[in-house]
Amino acid sequence: MELFIALGAIALIALFVVAQYNRLVRLNITVDEAWAQIEVQLKRRADLIPNLVETVKGYAKHEQSTFDAVVAARAKSTSASTVGEVAAADGALTNALRGLLAVAEAYPDLKASTNFLSLQEELSTTENKVSFARQFYNDNVRQLNQAVATVPSKFFAGFAKVGARDFYEVENPTDRNVPNVKF
Amino acid sequence: MANGANFRQMQSANKGKTYFLLASMGALTWLVAYSALTYFGVGTASTMVPIAIGFALIGVWGSYYGSDKLVLTMTGAKLITREDAPELFNVIEEVVIASGLPMPKVAIVEDSAPNAFATGRNPEHALIAFTTRILEVMDRDELQGVIAHEMSHVANRDTLVSAVAATTAGAIAILSDFLTRMMWFGGGRDRRDGNSNPIALVLSLAILIMAPIAAMLLKSAISRKRESLADATAVSFTRNPAGLRKALEVLAADSTVVRQKSNAVAHIWIESPLDGRSVSKMFSTHPPIEERIAALRAMESLGPTV
Repeated sequence: MELFIALGAIALIALFVVAQYNRLVRLNITVDEAWAQIEVQLKRRADLIPNLVETVKGYAKHEQSTFDAVVAARAKSTSASTVGEVAAADGALTNALRGLLAVAEAYPDLKASTNFLSLQEELSTTENKVSFARQFYNDNVRQLNQAVATVPSKFFAGFAKVGARDFYEVENPTDRNVPNVKF
Repeated sequence: MANGANFRQMQSANKGKTYFLLASMGALTWLVAYSALTYFGVGTASTMVPIAIGFALIGVWGSYYGSDKLVLTMTGAKLITREDAPELFNVIEEVVIASGLPMPKVAIVEDSAPNAFATGRNPEHALIAFTTRILEVMDRDELQGVIAHEMSHVANRDTLVSAVAATTAGAIAILSDFLTRMMWFGGGRDRRDGNSNPIALVLSLAILIMAPIAAMLLKSAISRKRESLADATAVSFTRNPAGLRKALEVLAADSTVVRQKSNAVAHIWIESPLDGRSVSKMFSTHPPIEERIAALRAMESLGPTV
């Protein structure tokens, strides 16, 4: 009888440990996936930019400084690697693009061109996707960090080789809102 | 719902209420089975109860399992690809990223009423559909709200919840129908334990007759709670209650209703297609649209929730 009770207790403890371990690993993998999604969307946006700049250039030749700012911000964003760097470069690129779209405002022919319109739709959906990917990532980082910091999951974090992760924070809080570009 | 509940509070409140209602459904089924036992005796009850539940299971679970395909035929929706509506797909992809769910199948229903629905037995087999009209009348923000509401039904597994509700309600209806018929023909009752208490007999009879109505009420109540829950979950995806609120206002202002082929799928639309008819609030599958708008407006006044 005592043997069965002891075996049962050991089995329960083992189940508990496995559940805690799996939960932490699962949370960590979800954060990795969410991060990959951010990178996919940022890459997509970076790929749209040369085309967008060329299109705007075709109509607005004398805005060289705006083009340079966008190209420089894009270059910086493609070389960033840590969460903090990527977030900072993302914010800078968003601002530069806002400048570019503001320039486009002054050229009615450009605004009417179908090429520009489709690029603009692509850009705005990608901006939305970046911000939703960021939101999904931060939600999952919050869950992971909570699990790593609270009892009992806290005790298994070292064993599962899982630690707190960085939030994706855009420096200027108003940048969290996707620019509402209207044409 | 308390005034000024944010989406997290609203989500957990509606989840709690669903569990309570589903438990009530279970209790009602048990009560009906027990009444059948009291009124007709062990012999009849022990064959009838499993048969009724069996019928209900076969009827509902087939349609649950094939819901994505079945609903296509029942509503006349046609599957579309990215090339047919690139902008719609862009907005759907945005919400998909926000929700972390897999990309659903997308369909269009040719109809002059603005409406939308979601179905599918699990997120991997999800289908969301829009009428041609809703795509014309809604701007990007409103459409995003509608898509988020539909994706919330997918995330909350509402096809499963309504299948469970329909099974129990169906089993109760079959059981009650069978037993009341048997009663009129005077047969069925085991005379062996005829010494039962007459009050218990009258009570069981009343329960058998009333149970289908109670089951219908519970089923509608569950559906209403799932709609409110989907509104709250939609806000957790987009963090933009104003989009869905404006979309619901557009739907409320529009008086056309979907020309449905079947009332059986009425509950899956974002706005009830039965609105035109006088359906009592207690039997309605959707909460009054004004209430949903007010709840979303209250979330807006709380400011951005991070």
